[in-house]
Formats: sequence, C-alpha cells, structure tokens
Amino acid sequence: MMSTVERTDAQVVRDVLSGDRDAYRLLVRRYGDVLHGHALRMTGNADEAADLVQRAFVKGFKKLGSCREPDRVGAWLFRILANFCKDHARSPRRGDISMTKVAGALRSRSDPSVDAEGAEIRTRVWGALDALTPEQKEAFVLKHVEGRTYEEIAAVMDLSVASLKMRVHRAREALKGLLEEYA
Amino acid sequence: MKNEIHRHLDGEIPFDALPHEDRVVVDEWDRMVASFRQSAPEGGMPPWIEQGVMAEIATLPERGVLGRMLHWFVNPAPVRISPLAAGLVAASIVVAVLLPGTGVTPPDPGPVAGGAAVEVVYVQFLLEAPSASSVAVAGDFTDWEPSFTLDDLDGDGVWSGRIPVRPGVHGYMFVIDETEWMTDPNAGRYQDDGFGNRNAVLAVGTSG
Repeated sequence: MMSTVERTDAQVVRDVLSGDRDAYRLLVRRYGDVLHGHALRMTGNADEAADLVQRAFVKGFKKLGSCREPDRVGAWLFRILANFCKDHARSPRRGDISMTKVAGALRSRSDPSVDAEGAEIRTRVWGALDALTPEQKEAFVLKHVEGRTYEEIAAVMDLSVASLKMRVHRAREALKGLLEEYA
Repeated sequence: MKNEIHRHLDGEIPFDALPHEDRVVVDEWDRMVASFRQSAPEGGMPPWIEQGVMAEIATLPERGVLGRMLHWFVNPAPVRISPLAAGLVAASIVVAVLLPGTGVTPPDPGPVAGGAAVEVVYVQFLLEAPSASSVAVAGDFTDWEPSFTLDDLDGDGVWSGRIPVRPGVHGYMFVIDETEWMTDPNAGRYQDDGFGNRNAVLAVGTSG
C-alpha cells in the first residue's frame, strides 16, 4: 500500500476530487511555506498574510476540479494566492499597513548591534517597494527577493518571459527613481 | 537605467563586459537587492493555518454526482486523446461554441451590403479568475477596447459570456479588474503582438 507521503500531486488531486477531503492536507503542507513566504513579502503583515494563504487554499479546494494540470497544482495554488496578494495591494482598506512598518518591526527585532544606517536603508527600500504597482512589486519580489528565474516565474504567472522581463525592468526603473527621490 | 545594465541583471551580460560607470551602478543595485533579501520577512506557515483550512473545507457541502457532472460541463478537465480524436473533438467544440447570432445587436455592424446585416457568430469566452472583481474581453473585434464584460453570477470564480464576433481570425486578451491585461491561458493558438506580449487567437467560421 502506498503511503500518503509518496502520493504525487496529481494523485492527491484525484483523491480529493473523489471525495477524500483529508488528502487536501497534503497539498497544504507541501505548498504552505512557499505560499506563506510570498504572502508575507507581498503584504508585510503576518495576520493578513495568514488570512490570504487560508483563503487561497480554501479557494483552491473549491476550484480543484478546474485545475487543468494536477501535476502542477502547486503552481496553480500559487497563482490563486498571488492574485489575492495583488488584490490586497489594491484594496483601499489596506490603510497604512506598509512594508515601511515591516522594516521598522524587523529593525526592532534584529540584533541590537545592527547599525542604524543599515536599518534606515532597509526601511527606505521596503517603503519604495510598497509604492510600486502590485504587478511590478510582485515581479520584483519573485525575481530579486525570492531569487526565481524568469522561466519559473513565467510558468507560475502564466506570462511570456518577454512580458515578464519588461515588467521587471519597469519595476527596477520605478524603484530606482523612488529611491533617488528619497535620497 | 541602461539597457546593458538590465541585461546584466537578467544574466545576459557578464559583469566584466560592462564599462566602469555601469559597474558602479550594478554594485549599488546589488547592495540594495542584498538589503531587500536580508530584511525580507521570512517564516514557515504557522500550523494553525492548516487547521483553519481543513476546518473551513469540512464545512463545505459535499459535491454530489450531479454537481460533479455540472462542474465538468462548466470546467471540462483535459483528457488524453489521440491526435485524430483531438481533431474531431476540436471540430465538435467549434460547432458547439459558434452559434448563429439571434436578437442581439452586434457591437459594430459596419457597412451593410444590399440591405443584409453583417453576420456575426456568438463565441463563448471563459476564464477562471478567482480573485478578479471584473473580467472583460478586448480584441481587434472591439478595437482593443475592453467593452464586453464577462459574468460570474454564482461567484465561483469562473467568468463567462457570449460575445458577437464577425467571421475571421481575431486576436484578443482578457482585461482583469480594468487594469491587468492577460493572455487567455487556454487558447489553442497565440500570436506575438509585436510588443513582447502574446495575444490569443480566435478563428471564427461562418455559421452558414
């Protein structure tokens, strides 16, 4: 008998669609950290990141039957989460929650010996990132903060590499302009 | 920022190939990116999220056989078929999707020849966009204006609508939330738009 940990994504998807709801837990465990890390970096708020991840997984469960490539369900779940993150960034109720605050929190949590200038730089760069469009911010985070390749990102975000490069280039230009403004 | 610097940051040009002034800019950029990475929020998913997800889906109603069948019709899953069978299936889909227009005014009737209205056929557009607030279709048949919106009446994240299109080969894209242009991930054909993006391609035959 095959143990649960050996089940492929496609097998898990099939099992869930056949009525084994508990099998969905495997997908939550496999992709939870990746989704949560991205949500944290996009929102800068642990509570909101957790909320978005939970909503993405629940939405994924509801829509699992429409996942056209069950062996790539992780990328499909990530796309749902990424869309939630962009919606969150556009949401007016977001108020004053910003990466600037995250950077401030990180500064206070970090090693006391860290120099104030370095912390100030971090505060400034995360604040600038928060000022990009959600699409630019997402592209920048995936490429430069999460260190993914263009091919990986294009596959996950369903964009051509050329479109993605253009988006990253614009993000760099915008970020450079913002940081020069702040300097 | 110079194009050469972008190309270096994209991994296309080695650092040594850059002139001195560009290397200075790249060094500054690398320091900034390092700062981003060092200060990026990290952390695995807290276990209570898994518990929350499983508790929430436990409250959802079971999907019965009828529900699964209905779901399949709305979101047909891919099946493995031979190339010959694929051709037959594709032909069937075209016949099923392209219906003669009745009682709906076409978006741009254009010139009328001999008193006969220009023929349009109605094409079913479908996009899964769970978090979208609106989805519209823009194509050469709308002068690239997102003038036809799709509906998600049951709130399941699948947006659909029938849109009148003249016979011919057309390029189109979806517009999410009035701002984000998206290539149809399920189109059978694509064409480069000349600006680095891909348009989905739709071939519409005459209904007669």
